[in-house]
Amino acid sequence: MKSNGKPKPRFTFEDPERVKQIFSQYPDKKSATLPLLHLAQSQEGYISKNVIDSIAELVDCHPAVVMDCVSFYTMFYTKPQGRNIIQVCQTLSCSLNGADELVDHVTDKYKIKPGETTADDRFTLMKVECLGSCGTAPVVQMNKEYHEDLSKQKFDELLESFE
Amino acid sequence: MPLLKVDGKEFEVESGTTVLQVAEANGIEIPHYCYHPALEIVGSCRMCLVQVEGMPKLQVSCNTFVSDVSSDRKVDGKYDMVVHTQNDLVVQERKNILEFLLLNHPLDCPVCDQAGECYLQDYSFKFGNAHSRFEENKRVRPNEFLGSQIVINHNRCIMCSQCVRFTQEISGTSELFVEARGYNSKIAVLEDNPLDNLLAGNVADICPVGALLSTDYIHKNRIWNLKKQPSVCQDCSVGCNVDVFSQTDQILRLTARENLDVNGYFMCDIGRYGFHRYEEIDRVLQPMVRKGDSFESVDWETAIQKTVDLIKKNKSKAAGIVSPFHTNESNFLLGQIFKDVLGSLPPITGEEITYPSGFRISADRSPNTRGMNDICDRVVEDLASEIETQGIRTLFILDDGIDRKLDDKWKKIIGEMDSVIVLSYAMTDLAKLAHVVLPGHAPLEREGTVTNDKGRIQWLRPSLPVKVESKPDWEILMLVRNALDKKTEHFVELGEVMKKMGEKFENYGGITFFKVGDQGYSINGKIS
Amino acid sequence: MNTFKPVLTEYIDQKDCHTLPFYKSIGGYTALEKVLTMNPDDITQEVKDSNLRGRGGAGFSTGMKWGFIPKDSNKPKYLINNADESEPGTFKDRLLMNKAPHQMLEGMIIAAYAIGCHTSFIYIRGEFYQEYKLLEQTIAEAYDNNILGQNILGSNYSLDVVIHRGAGAYICGEETGLLESLEGKRGWPRNKPPFPAIEGYLQSPTIVNNVETLSCLPHIINRGASWFKSIGPEKGPGPRLFCVSGCVNNPGVFEEPMGVSLKDLIFDRAGGIPDDKQLKAVFPGGSSSAILTANEAMDVMLDFEELVEKGSMLGSAGIIVMDETVDMVQACLNIARFYAHESCGQCTPCREGTSWLVMMLTRLINGDGKPGDIDMLLEITDNIGGLIDFSKGSFGKTICPFGEAVAWPVRSFVEKFKGEFMEYLPQEKVVA
Repeated sequence: MKSNGKPKPRFTFEDPERVKQIFSQYPDKKSATLPLLHLAQSQEGYISKNVIDSIAELVDCHPAVVMDCVSFYTMFYTKPQGRNIIQVCQTLSCSLNGADELVDHVTDKYKIKPGETTADDRFTLMKVECLGSCGTAPVVQMNKEYHEDLSKQKFDELLESFE
Repeated sequence: MPLLKVDGKEFEVESGTTVLQVAEANGIEIPHYCYHPALEIVGSCRMCLVQVEGMPKLQVSCNTFVSDVSSDRKVDGKYDMVVHTQNDLVVQERKNILEFLLLNHPLDCPVCDQAGECYLQDYSFKFGNAHSRFEENKRVRPNEFLGSQIVINHNRCIMCSQCVRFTQEISGTSELFVEARGYNSKIAVLEDNPLDNLLAGNVADICPVGALLSTDYIHKNRIWNLKKQPSVCQDCSVGCNVDVFSQTDQILRLTARENLDVNGYFMCDIGRYGFHRYEEIDRVLQPMVRKGDSFESVDWETAIQKTVDLIKKNKSKAAGIVSPFHTNESNFLLGQIFKDVLGSLPPITGEEITYPSGFRISADRSPNTRGMNDICDRVVEDLASEIETQGIRTLFILDDGIDRKLDDKWKKIIGEMDSVIVLSYAMTDLAKLAHVVLPGHAPLEREGTVTNDKGRIQWLRPSLPVKVESKPDWEILMLVRNALDKKTEHFVELGEVMKKMGEKFENYGGITFFKVGDQGYSINGKIS
Repeated sequence: MNTFKPVLTEYIDQKDCHTLPFYKSIGGYTALEKVLTMNPDDITQEVKDSNLRGRGGAGFSTGMKWGFIPKDSNKPKYLINNADESEPGTFKDRLLMNKAPHQMLEGMIIAAYAIGCHTSFIYIRGEFYQEYKLLEQTIAEAYDNNILGQNILGSNYSLDVVIHRGAGAYICGEETGLLESLEGKRGWPRNKPPFPAIEGYLQSPTIVNNVETLSCLPHIINRGASWFKSIGPEKGPGPRLFCVSGCVNNPGVFEEPMGVSLKDLIFDRAGGIPDDKQLKAVFPGGSSSAILTANEAMDVMLDFEELVEKGSMLGSAGIIVMDETVDMVQACLNIARFYAHESCGQCTPCREGTSWLVMMLTRLINGDGKPGDIDMLLEITDNIGGLIDFSKGSFGKTICPFGEAVAWPVRSFVEKFKGEFMEYLPQEKVVA
């Protein structure tokens, strides 16, 4: 499907050295798929079709195979997300220690339900499964960082600190 | 060789065979969905679970390999493996797996194409529960086009992943993939790469349920109304084995038939949907004789007599044109009439495609080039020159058919003949140039043998009834031959022609329909 | 309770404990020096003799697993450090990676050397981003100091370590799911046989070991198999990191000998239950194990064999404590929902069954349950993961142990707290 005859914009990695380095670590090309997807997502914020086509070419397989892989993992987003992703753990230990309250707090204050993004793109709220830090429940992952032992108060202050 | 005991019966098998393969080869039914002999084993449907003595968990028989074990581990001192496929435990597990499969499956049988040839229906009837215990809301998704020829009904899909593996391993085109995971998994394609390769139709064949459907066949009929005829595809020289499904005088669909020496388990879409091109054509159903610029229909006696008169008039200047679209028997008989000059029109070709699995579509888009060359004494290379050098004035032509587009050079050659007799099933460009048109059979109405490009003689069986006044091509040729020379044989049936063929051409000796059977007979290596 | 001198977590409270200089100052990498002079088979034998069993969840004998590597294969061998800690209730590997990464790395090199591996991977869950960055530094330190790379510490042995991040899938902690993910595909587990030790990563012999398992290795080498075997029960010995979370005052990771009493762990080390509430139920080994009632929990020792006898398992030693305020049905739904979310979808019973359980439990909680539902819950868990009574023979219909992992906890909730489930059924109205 071509629109007005212009070639489709392609995705390129900003750090080609890093891409080379990734390939050098594995005995075969396909194993580089996940690291390349992580790299692309930290560059673009999500995995677009262009990213998939690009990576498919680099690892020498069909784009559908890369898409198959992407759609399996919860950490890869195929659509743009808000600037800050709030991931509240909802599995047992966190649930027993007030995780639901934290989710409700976001809904009450920022008017978004799990899976939704604020109108100004500031926050996306997600409920996630066990983050592997049950001893400091309830745990929330903000973007890439873990925030532990969160009371509703501390959580509120934390959220406010994010633009 | 390992000794296996299944349900009390002993089998000596090759090391590395799976329990499922042993069962299939010996008439023991183990239901399965995700296993296909041409595809990688995944063992994901869990339907083929059996009990293997000595193993705590039930094992999937598709992935349980039989091999020699040390004597201290043999069961009863002699068996390398003992398997139960029909005991209470296994029977109960099948019910449970079926229950899971039917959980979200809609009660679509009355409107589903697969009904009557559906493994979910069959196994539910044989092995399942009579009712569902699922009280929740079913997972519902709208149908989607995966390609122009294939539609998917997601609600019926049991995620056996045969279709995905097909596009990865057989066609190598990888259009299909699994999207998401768990309960929400579904089969998908990328928007810019739909399932449109030439093997796409096979996924509807291999889908065990009514999830993947052919848009060509969808909602047209019911499998139990249709007659199934094993035959051979006529659209290229590979000669894939097919099943032709018809009702009275109409073909509804073709599906691939297994032949490990020819096409494996699959066929291409050119052959699969090719039968449609015979539907809306200008059929010739009665003998026609030219009268000025038009044709009038006559009876067979008149037509044969006219043909004979035309040939005898230019006796030494008459030639025959055989056709790689016609059966061995037809080409043979024409070759017996015109022993000296025999040729064929330029070949009709297309793209040669070989898929990663080895499946091939031949560039030669006629089914019987090899047979045609085998079964005639001399088929000249450059027919046009030969016609000129020999001063040929009369031609008897076996029409290639509606696929033949006559170029100007041949239109001129044929147009300048004194007389032209064409044996055809349609008023093609070629037939329009004739003085006599003898109505033969369309390809899927014919019976006879065809030889594929690997030297395998296969049985082309008629899939449609004879139309109006048309006759089998071999019979027409025999009648002409008898009329030209009363001393030639009068064959009552096709088998007699084959016998005669075999007497003249050594490597076709002893060929009978019985010998050729469903899987064909190879004469490769036997060069005349 | 007697204070046990920690082995794996001895120095975790000290400043800069994660750095190479610190690790060296406490005798780090002396085990590696010793190992580089040993015959690889002798190392495997020592580990076998120590009776070290995997600390990831399956509890398989580590030395025996290494022994499955075919001797006559000329394919490359791979060692994979399974750092995909995702089992609910488990958070010990994160601690080890943050505070004692070199200990883990030393264990990796020892294991790699023993099996003849020259390229090793750490598969770390995608969410552990900080830990990933730290491990990058750890590995850089190692390379800079000739502990990784060519001719390690002057020997003939070379090893490269690559960190490979996961991307949010619990099933990639299952060893064959991990291998698929490492190969760049969706994490669909493989049928076994073939086992990874024969055909693993890229069809080559591969060993997958847990972070904690590997962290034990330097100590086994330094102090000997007999020492290790003397800690706790002989059949499954050694220091163990027990994670306690849920309804406790002092949740955390506690290093104790195998075989420690669960009661002591909860009420002593973890400070007991807040507000003096009563214990109701406990997960002894992560959410994939069957729960124990308070009575059962009170006199059980946390050891592989004993927990199996009690109808549960030690698994990843992720102890989740539930007190009297916890609604067992809601807890059951929480766990069932986790499994439904993480089900890879490859095989029928798990793909359909896990969500069916969630739907039934949800309907029950919403007041639309039917009397037959409770028995049906038990039947469904049987059909996915089989009976807990292993002596009955058949269990598990799925490709990987995920089926058992969802069946055991859900079944144990329903069986042991049937009353609570029944209370959710709409009460019959008596017609006067």
